[in-house]
Amino acid sequence: MKKERSKKYRLIQGLRILSQTIFFLLFFYLLLRTHFTGEDYIGRVEIFFHFDPLLAISTLIASRTIFISFIFAVLTMVITFIFGRVVCGWVCPLGSVHQFFSFVFKKAKLLKPKNSTDNRLAWKYYLLVFILVGTIFSLDLVGIFDPLSLLYRSFSVAVLPALSQSFDAALGLLYQVNFSFLADGLAQFFENLALNATFLQGFFIGLIFIGILLLNLSRERFWCRYLCPLGAFLALISRWNILKLKIDRQKCIECNLCNIHCETQATPFPEEKWRSPECDYCFTCSSICPTSAIGFPLESAPEKIESVNLARRKLIFSSILAVVAVPFFRLSPSWKRSSPKLIRPPGALPEEKFLQKCVKCGECMKACPTNGLQPATTEAGPEGIWTPVLVPKIGYCEYYCSLCSQVCPTGAIRALTVPEKLKVKIGLAWVNKNRCIPYFLGTPCIVCEEHCPTSPKAIKLVKTEVIRPDGTIKTPAAPVINTDLCIGCGICETKCPVVDKPAIFVTSIGEDRSERNQLLLPLLKEDPEVFE
Amino acid sequence: MNRREFIKDVAVGSLILNFNPSLFAQPTFPDLALIQGENPAALTRKAVASLGGIGRFISKGDVVLVKPNIGWDRTPQQAACTNPQVVRILVELCLEGGAKEVKVIDNPCNQAKRTYLRSGIAEAAKQAGAKVLFPNRHRLKKIPLQGEWLKEWEVFTDFIEVDKIINVPIAKTHSLSRLTLGMKNWLGALGGNRNQLHQKLDQAMIDLAAFFKPCLTVLDAYRILIRNGPQGGRLSDTKLHKTVVAGTDYVAVDALGTTFFSLSSQDIPYLRLAHQKGHGEINLDKLKIEKRTV
Repeated sequence: MKKERSKKYRLIQGLRILSQTIFFLLFFYLLLRTHFTGEDYIGRVEIFFHFDPLLAISTLIASRTIFISFIFAVLTMVITFIFGRVVCGWVCPLGSVHQFFSFVFKKAKLLKPKNSTDNRLAWKYYLLVFILVGTIFSLDLVGIFDPLSLLYRSFSVAVLPALSQSFDAALGLLYQVNFSFLADGLAQFFENLALNATFLQGFFIGLIFIGILLLNLSRERFWCRYLCPLGAFLALISRWNILKLKIDRQKCIECNLCNIHCETQATPFPEEKWRSPECDYCFTCSSICPTSAIGFPLESAPEKIESVNLARRKLIFSSILAVVAVPFFRLSPSWKRSSPKLIRPPGALPEEKFLQKCVKCGECMKACPTNGLQPATTEAGPEGIWTPVLVPKIGYCEYYCSLCSQVCPTGAIRALTVPEKLKVKIGLAWVNKNRCIPYFLGTPCIVCEEHCPTSPKAIKLVKTEVIRPDGTIKTPAAPVINTDLCIGCGICETKCPVVDKPAIFVTSIGEDRSERNQLLLPLLKEDPEVFE
Repeated sequence: MNRREFIKDVAVGSLILNFNPSLFAQPTFPDLALIQGENPAALTRKAVASLGGIGRFISKGDVVLVKPNIGWDRTPQQAACTNPQVVRILVELCLEGGAKEVKVIDNPCNQAKRTYLRSGIAEAAKQAGAKVLFPNRHRLKKIPLQGEWLKEWEVFTDFIEVDKIINVPIAKTHSLSRLTLGMKNWLGALGGNRNQLHQKLDQAMIDLAAFFKPCLTVLDAYRILIRNGPQGGRLSDTKLHKTVVAGTDYVAVDALGTTFFSLSSQDIPYLRLAHQKGHGEINLDKLKIEKRTV
């Protein structure tokens, strides 16, 4: 028999790689564009998220509200219903990253593909059930596992910052070897990209991302096969699968190459065993088949779907696990009292609603012009891990900027126009008189007042009598805060010359989004005597 | 030339000199130009022309650095940064005067990209043909300033490597130095924890101005900030003053600037100090000021 690989399917495979490249570049371009480009409004750089039905549904259930932008997710669902998981194989940028690394590891002989028959495929379904059951109780953990959230977060908080640091180091080298002409140009170019390079959790989020990439050493597209809850969700709705795998038994030499190289363990051979919901239509099997025996003809008739074996007990177990997890996630004191360091970006919904909607994607952190938005560690409790908090010691909230609110894909941060944003209070500044230079040394310093962006300024300088360490008395101008005018932007804390632990700092009290986290009774504000 | 012709020429020459003795003397220019009018670009052109033209300050082939105040993320109407038209004209003049290259740079307080774009300065300067540079951390270098108090500080080497520097501040109020005019503008050339300089700001300003020695200072007072400085915010914080001042004595320029705020140079400690230490004149009566309206 003539041995020849199918030209048609090799071409289709080429098109698939092209499609993956295009979508990855689109993802990367939109992510790089997620910063101040000169306009107050930057358009829908977060559009990828709105095609993600898992985020759409979990946010819908958890927050019990409809976010209209997720309408695009219906398209993904329709495509998946008709064609199967083509989105996983042709579009998903995280899938492309995994495929790329699988390919590299294979070429480097670090990964030897094998015919896996294990039932780890079921893991992702259990994870999906766990997530969805959690959302019923408004515990929204989807952001930790959703592939787009994972990818965006990893890139925003770890990959791009690491690249930025490397570029910076390379620039330093260029200057050392006196290539300053080249280095000057590059430095200006990078400044224009405005990459944030400092993240509290950058190291750990990066470590997790690298770990997930290294899983590809064990199996091709390990994440997509075994872990991806979006993949599981799409598998469940891929019911028609209009492109049906057919193996020409006359040609098939039963070499098993298709099974070995199937990157999602969909077992193309024998075709009756083909798990169409697991197939991501990468067309690897049909293009590597040495005898061109495998094809994917259009066939509209519905067929019996070979699904992954899901143990009912394990499904129930996952659900129970989620139910049990809910109270555990809420043992943290953040549910009792507001945390002083939990300064949310302007436009953030009230905390409970915010946690139901935030998918921890890090888009806001990428957009933030000052690098001030950081992934939370413990400030918001375990369920709020990696949600955005403003850390003024690192960066402040830029007065005329509302980018974080514009790029939030779920509306956890309500989209604000710049004039709307100017009115939002996210916290309140406090002077630590024990550390403030005029207060304890009597030496002039007006840096916080100078930087205060409101008009009139929320920081006023008042002549204050202080006893200096040597016992002499001085009356320097020292900062006091007007609690009505302060919006909590934190520039005073960022710029305070007492750098290790700033002498002026912002806490969350007074934030508009909370009724309880307030300093003064609103009634008092109408009482003129208080501000006499 | 024979003897008779020689005697005749000498006689004629002496006669001319007798009636026009300034022929061999240096042309004299005013110390300061104070130009008022509607158009900031025209004011700037006139101010430089009144001082004798750009050729007096820069030579052909010079690399010139124009240092505006691009400190804040504010629009031109808010008068927190130098008027972009003033910057544009200075860049144009330098290039017309034969400068090899004109650089525009400042180290802002808000994000550099936002201040450069929203102040309108990046675009205006680029259009005029300047090289607009973001401050680059790698170009910071500890420089011996040899000031009376400030011995050394991290300075962007862009300021060191050029032939001439033109300072283009805007006139604003400031809670520590009372006003921020030309001499305060030099904090924008610095890196490091420059906010610490506020602990002895007046002396720091004097040392910095003496170090950078601009060949020309052009003070933008087209729209000035009369309260809530140095950022302002509301339009009511600004006042349309429609003036541009230029001069080579940077102390004198600042001294004249105080009058726009109904103050006198004697009210401003740093100016008194600068004068006392011989850095420039603050007594306006002693200065030759050319006032023009365009």
